[in-house]
Amino acid sequence: MEILVFVKPVPEAESRLRPRADGKGLDPEGVKWVLTGYDESAVEQALLMKEALAGSHVRSVSFGPAPRGEEVLRASLALGCDSATWVEQPPGIEPDSTDLVRTLALVSRRYPADLILLGKQAGDHEGGLAASALAAALGRPGFSFVVNLRFEAARQRFTFQRVAEEGVESWEVPGPIVVGLQQAWNDPRTAKLQNILKSRRMPIEKVPASEVVAAVGDHPRSTVEQFLLPPPRTGAKMVEFSTPEEAAQKLVRLLREEAKVFP
Amino acid sequence: MSRAVLVVGEAQGGHLARSSREAVGLARKLSEGGSVTGALLGSELGGAPEEFARSGVDRVLLLPLAGAPPVRAVPSAGPLAELARATDISLILLGGSAFARELTGALAVAWEAPAASGVVDATAAPDHLEVRRPIFGGRASQLLRLPGPRGILLLRPNAFSAPEPTATPAPIETRPVHELPPALLVGERTGVSPVEGGSGPELTSAAIVVSGGRGLKAPENFRLVEELAQSLGAAVGASRAVTDAGWKPNSYQVGQTGKTVSPQLYIAVGISGAIQHLVGMMSARVIVAVNNDPSAPIFRVADYGIAGDLFQILPPLSAEIRRVRGL
Amino acid sequence: MPEFSLSEEQRSLQDLARKFARTEMAPRAAECDRTAQVPEDIYRKSWELGLMNLNVPTEYGGSGLSLLDQCLIVEELAYGCGGMTTSIIANCLALEPIILGGSEEQKRSVLTPFCADYHLASFCLTEPGGGSDAGTVATRARRDGDHYVISGEKCFITNAPHASLYTVFASTDPSLRHKGVSAFFVARGTEGVLPGKDEEKMGHRASSTGTVRFEEVRVPVSHRLGAEGEGFTLAMRTLDQTRTPIGALATGIAQAALDHAASYALQRRTFGKPIGEHQAIQMKLAMMATEIQAARLLTWNAAWLIDQGKGATLESSIAKSFASDAAMRVTDEAIQVFGGYGYMKEYPVEKLHRDAKLTQIYEGSNEIQRIVIARELLKRYQR
Repeated sequence: MEILVFVKPVPEAESRLRPRADGKGLDPEGVKWVLTGYDESAVEQALLMKEALAGSHVRSVSFGPAPRGEEVLRASLALGCDSATWVEQPPGIEPDSTDLVRTLALVSRRYPADLILLGKQAGDHEGGLAASALAAALGRPGFSFVVNLRFEAARQRFTFQRVAEEGVESWEVPGPIVVGLQQAWNDPRTAKLQNILKSRRMPIEKVPASEVVAAVGDHPRSTVEQFLLPPPRTGAKMVEFSTPEEAAQKLVRLLREEAKVFP
Repeated sequence: MSRAVLVVGEAQGGHLARSSREAVGLARKLSEGGSVTGALLGSELGGAPEEFARSGVDRVLLLPLAGAPPVRAVPSAGPLAELARATDISLILLGGSAFARELTGALAVAWEAPAASGVVDATAAPDHLEVRRPIFGGRASQLLRLPGPRGILLLRPNAFSAPEPTATPAPIETRPVHELPPALLVGERTGVSPVEGGSGPELTSAAIVVSGGRGLKAPENFRLVEELAQSLGAAVGASRAVTDAGWKPNSYQVGQTGKTVSPQLYIAVGISGAIQHLVGMMSARVIVAVNNDPSAPIFRVADYGIAGDLFQILPPLSAEIRRVRGL
Repeated sequence: MPEFSLSEEQRSLQDLARKFARTEMAPRAAECDRTAQVPEDIYRKSWELGLMNLNVPTEYGGSGLSLLDQCLIVEELAYGCGGMTTSIIANCLALEPIILGGSEEQKRSVLTPFCADYHLASFCLTEPGGGSDAGTVATRARRDGDHYVISGEKCFITNAPHASLYTVFASTDPSLRHKGVSAFFVARGTEGVLPGKDEEKMGHRASSTGTVRFEEVRVPVSHRLGAEGEGFTLAMRTLDQTRTPIGALATGIAQAALDHAASYALQRRTFGKPIGEHQAIQMKLAMMATEIQAARLLTWNAAWLIDQGKGATLESSIAKSFASDAAMRVTDEAIQVFGGYGYMKEYPVEKLHRDAKLTQIYEGSNEIQRIVIARELLKRYQR
């Protein structure tokens, strides 16, 4: 099976977030860009499916400025992906979600795959729209919030569950499909040291910016006007009490009268 | 400048989802005197059309879709885009849910419009929209400018208030059945099982969430959290430590690899506040923490804290809440 | 000009070790310290991920890393637990004599199967009668046809109760004193190899340490590393390599202590403010940060010089002795920052101080290090 997995470099969870000088985005200085969260699960899922079906091939793809786009690709190669492609971000463009989908579609057409995997949402902007948008752009079935994804070779169908508010739905769909993954059926593996070193020597293909510019075309772009940090938290107002009953009464009063969150 | 706004609603359990009613409130504001239309897809809508008709919209459109239920998000985008084009809609709002999120992405492509998800605030200018949404698990937010003439907003649950129901219902119209591209309808849903949650509201859309962590020490103590949740009418969540230990199913987990919640009130019981948990709940409006370690990191992000023994604190707290609510 | 930044490759190695240390080692560190249970599952996982046998060349199945890369990994592991790290890197110590002094045939026949599966190894030099005085080797290796017969007792041997392989230093000619010492490798299970029980230690309690008695142990001549009489030199060349990572180990322990102390200083409030705003605590934290920076850079410098093939006995002795002394000072002050809580076993800092102590003693006590420093130094002043 051919599997394409799209990964996004995002700041490590413990990063300190600072706005850049123009106030419109994150200051990348000192930020560690990693493969994490649902994207990490997507890579794990791709590798599990590859291991379950002999002769499969996994390509990981990322889009963004160097070198962070490359680092997550090396991480995915070290985990076991067979090949990797970095899509160069055109200079002077801050891609919006439309640019992203058109770029993903460009890459998807270049590397035909039975299964296209994305993490259900990226760890930074958490939009969660890419999987279904890509499915629509390619004219393929697409599902998000997916867990327990498997492929039944005998019936040539993908089986999975989709976690929605009303319940957990079970589905079976023939490929090709696009999946926004919530969870792989195993915890993501850790790359071994030898594979980390090996991955540094593996080639990474490149889709040049010129092709991306052609694919995204001209369209009015959404822009980030402000990147805001909330006012710094001063820490909890600690409730003073001498008995648990007093603590309960004081807290309830604060929630009703001060915070006004009481039904 | 007035604009025609479409709210794509959703039926959940035979009722109109609360998130759909929240979207109507915002739709009215952004329409600036223009029309607000509600749309519902598919069949098996229960009482949702009637509730939608009283939610404050000018009319309700029912869009039946060909093919067996359930309604699928990706194929529904085409008919909705067609409807929007046919009725000069310039703005589409959806209330946050799994289905709505999938639909938003596909609709952005089908309708060729910019989309933003997780929206907590929006203002309209003549030729663009400005929306604010939390990012990085609530540790930051962005102000996004969506250039006109069209836009799609997926709202964050509990971020907007639902208007009071209207006395007179708006008209309900059923549109002709839409055929859908067969390529998008392959495969089928083979079953649905209820989410392994408590009997309370669903976690990601609940207005109040009470979560328990390792501080509870043993699985049987989780009932203290459940009692507190019940007294509040709240959903129940858990930290990863609890779900990893098997005390509760994974569906309870709030955090980086679990669910993100956006309630009005989040109460963390016996949870120390590792960043992986915080990013799942930090954009709650009010956070309360109960922990017997006064230096637990959770107290740095909470609004109110009780540094004490949760086993002593929780029972009187549940009792006080029931008393105040007259239960 | 020296460049102090790490390459992306080095950062990936560091990340791997850091993730392993923080997700696998650190959560079990307190429990292993309390019970002195050896976490074999953690050691096995470290082997699976390639974090063991770092110095063995890749052609024999090791990770084949430069000394600087090894130090980056060792510091991260020690941040998780000093004791577990000691056991993990004890393999490097035990295998180094084979790497430096073994023939191609010996390397292939010993290192390759060793690295192909999870194994622990022990470096057996120290004896009850000779620690710093390493030349006084009482363990005898008597030539008997095409075998040697080894008899004697080694003590304070890391991994002894669990090792599959022992690298042993024994005297083939006592009259030549240190010039009569030879090196051998001996497999566990060879008749007469008697590993003793686990000793009860002040720190590094997740690492098993014990005596090994050799009672008329017959090993083939092919198990001798290098020529007769070359053993002591081989031991010294080995320690020349392995001394620097101890600096990294000490630095890792110290960094953990600083991180705990600094976090605590921001949370604990006295006299109306976080204690980190009181000058007394600030002085301590400043000292700790300064010493850790110095320890780390001295370690990196020594490792880099050795990787350049420049031989850095002076610099590595400086790195090891400074970093271990610094770790003692830093962990001591960390306890002080925590005050009464620092004295309680429920808090992590007192373990760090107990773990730091060993770094002043093993792999060449700091007293010996200072003699070596003086000697190397004076060499440079001689005409």
